Amino acid sequence: MRLLRDLGRRKIRSGLTITGIMIGIMALVVFGSMANKIDALVKGGSDYYKDKVTVSAKGGYMGLGGVLSTRMVAQITPLDGVDVVVPGVSMLLSDDVSGVSMGTPSMINGSVANADQGRETFVMHYATGRALLPSDEGKNVVVLGSDLARQKKAKVGDTISLRGVDFKVVGILEATLTAPDNSAMVPLVAAQELYVKTLPTLIAGELNTYELATGLVVYPKAGVDPEKVADEIDAHVSGITTMTGKDFDQQIGAATSMLNAILVGIGLLSLVIGGLSVINTMAMSVAERTREIGIKRAIGASRWRIRREIVIESAIIGLIGGLLGLGLGFVITTMGNDAGRESSTILFDLTFGTAFSSVAFATVLGAAAGFVPAWHASRLDPVTALRYE
Amino acid sequence: MAILEGRNLRKTYRLSRKNTVEALKGVEVMIEKGEMVAIMGPSGSGKSTLMHILGLLHAPDANHGPAPELYLGGENMASLSDNARTKIRARRMGFVFQDFNLVPTLTALENVTLACDYAGIGGKQAKEAGVAALALVGLADRAGHKPSELSGGEQQRVAIARALVNKPEIVLADEPTGNLDSERSAEVLALLRQFNREHGQTIVLVTHDSDVGEACDRVIRMRDGRIRDQGQGAGTPVMAARAVAVAVAVPA
Repeated sequence: MRLLRDLGRRKIRSGLTITGIMIGIMALVVFGSMANKIDALVKGGSDYYKDKVTVSAKGGYMGLGGVLSTRMVAQITPLDGVDVVVPGVSMLLSDDVSGVSMGTPSMINGSVANADQGRETFVMHYATGRALLPSDEGKNVVVLGSDLARQKKAKVGDTISLRGVDFKVVGILEATLTAPDNSAMVPLVAAQELYVKTLPTLIAGELNTYELATGLVVYPKAGVDPEKVADEIDAHVSGITTMTGKDFDQQIGAATSMLNAILVGIGLLSLVIGGLSVINTMAMSVAERTREIGIKRAIGASRWRIRREIVIESAIIGLIGGLLGLGLGFVITTMGNDAGRESSTILFDLTFGTAFSSVAFATVLGAAAGFVPAWHASRLDPVTALRYE
Repeated sequence: MAILEGRNLRKTYRLSRKNTVEALKGVEVMIEKGEMVAIMGPSGSGKSTLMHILGLLHAPDANHGPAPELYLGGENMASLSDNARTKIRARRMGFVFQDFNLVPTLTALENVTLACDYAGIGGKQAKEAGVAALALVGLADRAGHKPSELSGGEQQRVAIARALVNKPEIVLADEPTGNLDSERSAEVLALLRQFNREHGQTIVLVTHDSDVGEACDRVIRMRDGRIRDQGQGAGTPVMAARAVAVAVAVPA
């Protein structure tokens, strides 16, 4: 294209300007993908918690922390608005939680299959194998999330070790881009037996292993507001804390919104700097081409035509920088995800929307940056411009 | 028949708040169709300013005197907007400048078809016209070369092809041989004369070069912003001879 030849006039200068945009777009793509991943996790959590109430021991959080009893099921079920109560046992897969993880840590979750009696709306899809069954209680079998299965290089039929105990893999989930991807689902009894092992022997000896729970999931009756159910439980049961979808949104949602804003803000700032570089380049380019602009105007180019040429040229700088930045961002996010896969940490979700909007934004930024130099060029008097040395 | 007529043409340039230059002080000029006219004069005589007004690059001043009149092919151009003047330059005029002024990133053909583009002619039609114009100036085989690959004389010939490609009513040339050696100057002058004699192309030249003046039908001499002499050039005998030939041929 002829306009590409104009960019080739000063290859180093054009190259440096394009590099500026490229870096800005790369930052936007990488940070945007991180934000997408965080959003997906948060949305997954939000969707999961919105129609239920989670009960944990006071001082616990999201079913992780202190100990409850399965006898509390009988205590809670008769309360107003309560439909089904499902006890569960959760613990970290490994005690080695090194550093700060961007994703959720790997968990072991145990509950009786189908104890929700169909109330659970979060549907799990199985890539291979099967779901857990009520008849699995008493057996050491496990369903793995997609990332955990990849990390442990496990297939259906393999035997893997969870906290030193052998489990047979009976199913592997499809990727959800949320917490289940790095969790291991086992029958309640198996989870209770594993959990007891994590407690000091003196304490463990005082407890009834098969009445242990770390959290209860309470499903409200149809049409009943989970907030009201949570209030009911708080009022009638002591030593516990409840969490609803609204609580989740307030606590987690707010924190991640701030993180998103920071990440995307950094990306946009890089781009603004790139944009300033384009303005500078185009201004210099116009100044160098003053005589040429004069001759074009003299032989009949309209002001609009001159503006159009310059704006298109700077839009192309933006477009090329955007495509290169997207390419570089793609490489970084792919490598980052590959590296993180080993530890089940998938950090980036580069969606088509992020890719397209980044390149589009770069192009528009380029065009906008060219506008002022273009306007100036179109206002040059042809005769004066022709004589410019 | 006059192709270009101007009356009461004035132009004052404001260089700063207190510093103005009265470049043209009221000029009356007429260019006949098919004429090749030179405008000559010392620096500051206003010859370039007159050329810029005749070429619709600047509008004549309307204040401080009677209303200016400028007719191209009988139509009044004196008070047109910048956009309107630009359109007319694109479609009905051709320009040749001292410094060739070709776009360095375009080939010879692309430089020529740029004029077609600005006149609203594109695609195949523009390409054909461009090739024909380059052939007329003897550069058909250099169509794909960039200006850096052409000599000074060749570049000026490309500029002439660009000026002629839209078959303009008038070609205005500002010191077309100024940057050329005597051999190349003679070539370019011969080319312009050829277009004038064989195709009846009206050409107005601004020049310092007396050889160029002598090759024209008429020389308009200017001094201090006014026309001193609407003059005759060495080319006039040709005009006179044509007039005689017509007079002889008419009685049936």
